Amino acid sequence: MDEFEEILQDFLIEAFELIEQLDQDLVELETRPDDLDLLNRIFRVAHTIKGASSFLNFDVLTHLTHHMENLLNMARHGDLVIDANVMDVILESIDLMKALLVRIRDRGEDSGLDVSGCVARLDAVANGDAAPEPIVEIAVIQEALAVQVNEDEPDYSAMSDAQVEAEIERLLAQKQAEAAAKRSGSNEAVKNEESEPDYANMSDIEVEAEIERLLLEKQAQDAAKRAQKNQNTAPQEPVVPSTPTVVVPSAPQPKVEAVPMVKAAPSAPSPRRSEAKEEGDSKGGGVEQTIRVDVKRLDHLMNLIGELVLGKNRLIKINDDVEERYEGEAFLEELNQVVSIVSLVTTDLQIAVMKTRMLPIGKVFNKFPRMIRDLSRELNKKIELEIAGEETELDKSIVEEIGDPLVHIIRNSCDHGIEVGDVRMAHGKSEVGTIQLKAYHEGNHIVIQIIDDGKGLDADMLKQKSIEKGIITEKEADAMSEKEAFGLIFRPGFSTAAQVTSVSGRGVGMDVVKTNIEKLNGMIDIDSEVGKGTSMKLKIPLTLAIIQALLVGVQEEYYAIPLASVLETVRISKDEIYTVENRSVMRLRDEVLSLVHIGDIFEVERVFDNSEHAYVVVLGLAESKIGLIVDTLIGQEEIVIKSLGEYLKGIEGIAGATIRGDGGVTLIVDVAALMQMAKSVKSTVGIENGETKKLGVKNSSSDYCVMVVDDSKTDRTIMRKSLEPLGITIVEAVDGVEALNILKQGDHFFDAMLIDIEMPRMDGYTLASEIKKYNKYKNLPLIAVTSRAGKADRMRGVESGMVEYITKPYSPEYLMNVVKRNIKFNEGL
Amino acid sequence: MSEKLQQIINRQNQALAGDDQKVDEVIQLVGFIVGEEEFSIPILSIQEIIKPIGWTRVPQIPSYILGVFNLRGSVIPLIDLRARFGLPLQKHTDETRFIVMKNGDDVAGFVIDRLTEAIRMPKRDIGPAPDTISESETMIDGVGKQADRIVTILKVHKLLERNF
Repeated sequence: MDEFEEILQDFLIEAFELIEQLDQDLVELETRPDDLDLLNRIFRVAHTIKGASSFLNFDVLTHLTHHMENLLNMARHGDLVIDANVMDVILESIDLMKALLVRIRDRGEDSGLDVSGCVARLDAVANGDAAPEPIVEIAVIQEALAVQVNEDEPDYSAMSDAQVEAEIERLLAQKQAEAAAKRSGSNEAVKNEESEPDYANMSDIEVEAEIERLLLEKQAQDAAKRAQKNQNTAPQEPVVPSTPTVVVPSAPQPKVEAVPMVKAAPSAPSPRRSEAKEEGDSKGGGVEQTIRVDVKRLDHLMNLIGELVLGKNRLIKINDDVEERYEGEAFLEELNQVVSIVSLVTTDLQIAVMKTRMLPIGKVFNKFPRMIRDLSRELNKKIELEIAGEETELDKSIVEEIGDPLVHIIRNSCDHGIEVGDVRMAHGKSEVGTIQLKAYHEGNHIVIQIIDDGKGLDADMLKQKSIEKGIITEKEADAMSEKEAFGLIFRPGFSTAAQVTSVSGRGVGMDVVKTNIEKLNGMIDIDSEVGKGTSMKLKIPLTLAIIQALLVGVQEEYYAIPLASVLETVRISKDEIYTVENRSVMRLRDEVLSLVHIGDIFEVERVFDNSEHAYVVVLGLAESKIGLIVDTLIGQEEIVIKSLGEYLKGIEGIAGATIRGDGGVTLIVDVAALMQMAKSVKSTVGIENGETKKLGVKNSSSDYCVMVVDDSKTDRTIMRKSLEPLGITIVEAVDGVEALNILKQGDHFFDAMLIDIEMPRMDGYTLASEIKKYNKYKNLPLIAVTSRAGKADRMRGVESGMVEYITKPYSPEYLMNVVKRNIKFNEGL
Repeated sequence: MSEKLQQIINRQNQALAGDDQKVDEVIQLVGFIVGEEEFSIPILSIQEIIKPIGWTRVPQIPSYILGVFNLRGSVIPLIDLRARFGLPLQKHTDETRFIVMKNGDDVAGFVIDRLTEAIRMPKRDIGPAPDTISESETMIDGVGKQADRIVTILKVHKLLERNF
């Protein structure tokens, strides 16, 4: 049973592969109906599937393919001209065949689909030119026999004389049989077939004889064919004379030479044999060149590579650290070399494994010629499809996902884009509309472009329509650029076709396109000109498991944004952020970009930051754009996408997690979801907020808070006394460690710190640089209060982040003024 | 001969059955403290126990889930049992541990205040969860009575169940 399963699986894989090619061949066939190669190829598919399905007892499938084969065979022999009507029937039968195969794949049986109608039509078309069916039967039998004959082919060189005698006898008999066959033509073959049932009643000897006879006959026919072929094809001719020399020396009987037909007969085995050898060779070579591998194994391999990439990232990080610490040491050179080799090999390995998962996009493109053909007949338009770059490769998982969106886009182009022939003529275009389907690589992306020369998109019309359908308001429509208007076609519920056809116009298709492309982290770019046509560009990353990401920081958190969605990063000053209807926006060249702070999306607790500048990461996905404000840009890194697991799945805005070089986990931003969330998140971007916060807090002098850090109690008291007149809150710490702990506890929001330099445990410089490591204290004024007055000390103070440097002794007024200035005392009141 | 064989087989069967009984009678638990109370979980549902390491906050989840952490290449959720049981949060101490529990494919780390000991407990000493809590809601599998104390046994699958 297992064996059967195995055979069945092989059969299905093979069948689906064959069918994929079939559609394209068939459409091509319609334009070149007399291309014999093409016909033969198509015939072989039907034949192969028929053979295998009868072996596997799929009667319905066998029945159907049998009749298809029949029809195709007639066409192959020139008994039938393939026109559009015949083609329709053939295509119908192929669809049915696909349906049956799918059924077999899913349920393991082929019953339940009615093929009789289709079979009847096949026969009707076949009988229209009325060629007798048996011919096909013979062809089948012949082929079946051919295999047998091949196996039975005796080895001439190893024969004894007596055997050679016998062989010559056999060849003669064969020759006679052939003559007979010639005489009675196919009738005899039919008779042979009819006599088949009798085999059961025959004695062994009789059966033996019968087999002998059939074999001979078959060989004879083959020989005749070969001879004919040899005569036709010049290159094979030299083989013919050489073959008899194998036979002749061992059996120098003039009789053989005397009969002209015999000459042809012995020549038959030779070419066949050499052909078989060739086949064997190519097959043998083929086995070495390609192996079928379970996708699961590749996935596993990919996962392992992912781990390796993480390890590599970590190694690089450690190397950097070591480099810093042991600068100039000799072993560093060696370590560096090893690290770079490992990272190089890992990258290569990753690419190599990625390549094993790559499939040519032609696998998807193949079904479109057929689709266009059907559509153009259905819609009564003349449409031509031009495909380029079908050899472009991309990851298997993406190939599987990209099919549906493309179907929708192409259907859309046919239905809405390309005009009817008359209209086209009236506009001075050629009657035949063209749709171009192109694929090419662009960096780490694959670009699929669908270009039609139809009527193009009319931005105003799109807006009008959207307003009517309540998708957008008039106000929104006015604010829309042309590109944004094009993007409207991707909104759910939008459809521009005045008439709903079976092809499109239900307003779901393009919506699906957008969702699917976004799922792949892809982008859609539409270009269109009224009257000239539309071009849609789908930009999709090559692989999904390991991606390039931009790492950004907000407060003490880091997030990874897929680089595929990052269009650019800009540094802006806060003045450049405007507020329009409660949304923050900025002007980016000639565009208005809406902004959202990453902290608002991910609920990052933000201690006020009043830095002058902000970094904006411009994200693009499908046709929309948004600016994401972050605190810091860390850099670009190769990351491996890991799932957050069952427990935390489906968190909005998070696509997964990755492990960084330092072993920490960094979350990966789901750009599509983030864009959705940005619409509902209330914005807190802009300086107003920082100010209101400050204004709100500082109602009285005591709301100001200053920390005094000094190990000497006297000094602390002096400072406290100096600042007392201001009425501000003062918190004391005896050394750097304590000060840091007070800060971390977060009980107070400090407006400034007075720091002594000479302290036990942690000195002032170290404290200052520790504090500056925290994002939220970046703008906290640190004032050094010390007896060290040297220039070098001052320099060090500035380096560690101090803003003022007060030397002891000082006057209380001076200290007060410095503090007042730094905490902006009473400025806000 | 066959009689002898039968005897041997019978004896073996008896021995096996006896083993089963013995294994069945005692469960091994690992006890730990959260807040004031001692809890325990079956030792077989523990993947490992580690000292606290850094974790990453994850947005938009209940506050008792601290975030995710990296356990040798796997990203695993970290749940604070104090918060889960509605107790006030406490800073991690030297005794704080992460217990990584698993149930099938579900794995998560749990923050506990400190470990106590491994407990071998006869099954007959384990009583049902108090009736006041509804059967489907409770995280308590049963209550183990020992000479000087009571140990609450938790349902690991319930702890690992996503409930938001």
